[in-house]
Amino acid sequence: MLIYVCFVLAPIAISFGYSLTNYNPFNPPAKYVGLRNYRLLFQDEVFLTALKVTTIITLIVVIVPNVLGLGVALLLDKRGRLYSALRSVFFTPIILSSVVVSVIWTRLLDRDGPVNDALRALGMSNPPGWLSDPRYALYSLATILSWQMLGFCVVVYLAGLQGVPTELLEAAAIDGAGPVRRFRTVTWPLLAPALTINTVVPLISAFKVYDYVKVITNGGPGSGTTATIAFNVLTTGFDANHIGYASAMAIIMLVIVAIATGITLRVLQAREVDL
Amino acid sequence: MSRPAVNRSHVNRSHVNRSQVDRSTVDRSVAGGDAADRSPPNRSGLDRFTVPWLRPVTAILLSAIFFIPLYLACVNVIKPTDKISQSPASLPIPPTLHNITAVLTRPDRLFWASLTNSVEVTALSVLVLTVLSAMLGHYLARSRSRWTRALTLVLLCGLMIPPQVILIPVAKVLQVAHLMTTVQGLILFNVGYYVPFGVFVFAGFIRSVPVELEEAAAIDGASRMQVFWQIVFPLLRPATASVLIFLGVWIWNDFIDPLIILGPGSGTTVTTGVYRAIGQYQVDFGSVFAMMFLATLPVLVFYLLLQKQFVKGLTGGATKG
Repeated sequence: MLIYVCFVLAPIAISFGYSLTNYNPFNPPAKYVGLRNYRLLFQDEVFLTALKVTTIITLIVVIVPNVLGLGVALLLDKRGRLYSALRSVFFTPIILSSVVVSVIWTRLLDRDGPVNDALRALGMSNPPGWLSDPRYALYSLATILSWQMLGFCVVVYLAGLQGVPTELLEAAAIDGAGPVRRFRTVTWPLLAPALTINTVVPLISAFKVYDYVKVITNGGPGSGTTATIAFNVLTTGFDANHIGYASAMAIIMLVIVAIATGITLRVLQAREVDL
Repeated sequence: MSRPAVNRSHVNRSHVNRSQVDRSTVDRSVAGGDAADRSPPNRSGLDRFTVPWLRPVTAILLSAIFFIPLYLACVNVIKPTDKISQSPASLPIPPTLHNITAVLTRPDRLFWASLTNSVEVTALSVLVLTVLSAMLGHYLARSRSRWTRALTLVLLCGLMIPPQVILIPVAKVLQVAHLMTTVQGLILFNVGYYVPFGVFVFAGFIRSVPVELEEAAAIDGASRMQVFWQIVFPLLRPATASVLIFLGVWIWNDFIDPLIILGPGSGTTVTTGVYRAIGQYQVDFGSVFAMMFLATLPVLVFYLLLQKQFVKGLTGGATKG
């Protein structure tokens, strides 16, 4: 408990304290500046871009793996050797380190990587540099994150589907409900807890994404096209040493995550029915 | 918050069993022709208006697309470096172990140093975390005072704090304690940062263990410590398994915390080692892939051995909400 206080609670308080100062270890003394950091942040082009980048990534990473994950889970929810082998394929990325995933995908999406080779073979003369073109880099990054998150969503949805009682589906079928209707009125409502998990976990992990950005694009190409808030917090704090300013960013990040998670939990848990 | 959640998990578990039984009976009745003109209720309904081979083919196709990155990682480990940049997607013919031996025998022992650090950090963090969070979880689950409830809530909030928010002050705290850039510092931070998860899992599980067992042991004269270690802890095995598995994998794969806390000079873990290897030799992707492979190998073996537990832990946590 003491360690938790030392390493989680106290740091939050300290962070908040720093965020009210212009603390910089190479430029002492630190002065109390009130809410100036926060005011500056909301006029800061770089921060606002980061906010936008983070929001886009988070939206994609919440929506895409959920839609695809549900489809894949429905497809694989069958017994048999084939299906359990295929399930393993989808589970594997969960255990891979972010660095490993990043390196693999960097090679894959390289200007001369396999993806572009394939596109050239299909007759596209000049396929884009997925990670080096500012127009695509952000979406490539979101794709990579979605790929890893997809495995997680599949696992959770599969577990949810196992929990749907067959007799309810039978009853619905006997009452003449077609497969689409059965899914909409029986399966989907019963998947509510799975949906909650599959929204909140990607939400939190996408919002704090740092490692992928660091390894794959280092914030670029260009200036800050893929720099997330989390990425900026650490570059401003540790590389540029503007600790006060970075702390203000971190606090805003924490507040946004907390509010977003809170709202999502409230909305989605209201849908959950107890069997 | 967690009370109804626990109940729900019970309900779900019983449903899983029941629906499995039901499914087999349904299958049999369909085979026997009992179902007459009613179509059998398919889980997803996909089979009804499509040809039978469509589902396996679609499933295989999708999985294949999904598998491409993994395939790339696998073949490039055993391919000579020049082939990797020329034709990354080709099959590794003939296969070579050169990349792996090159990494293992590097003069600066980057891989071995990283491995030692990773093993040390992961093993010690997980060990301390399991013991601490089991005891804390037990205390929080059994005590009913308002104070412990507030404490639980505070801990749960810790589940969603992004590490970036606290890393800067943590670095300061560690500096003051002269633990910055040391393995001990990283372990200490891990313990603090992951304790909410451990407590969350253990507390949820302990609520399903009957308190009468503990009372009986206490009446027989066991001390509180004895009750915990001899009665409660052995019963917590499934929860311990999930905590071990998850924290093990998370801490092993962790990148940002070792990068910042261990710092550039003193040490690397396997993940930051891979990152450094990219920076060091731009061209030698053979070594990078080999290093990634070796870094993942322990987790992969661990995962393959415990796959059932793994998925169960994941879904158990999931249905518990």
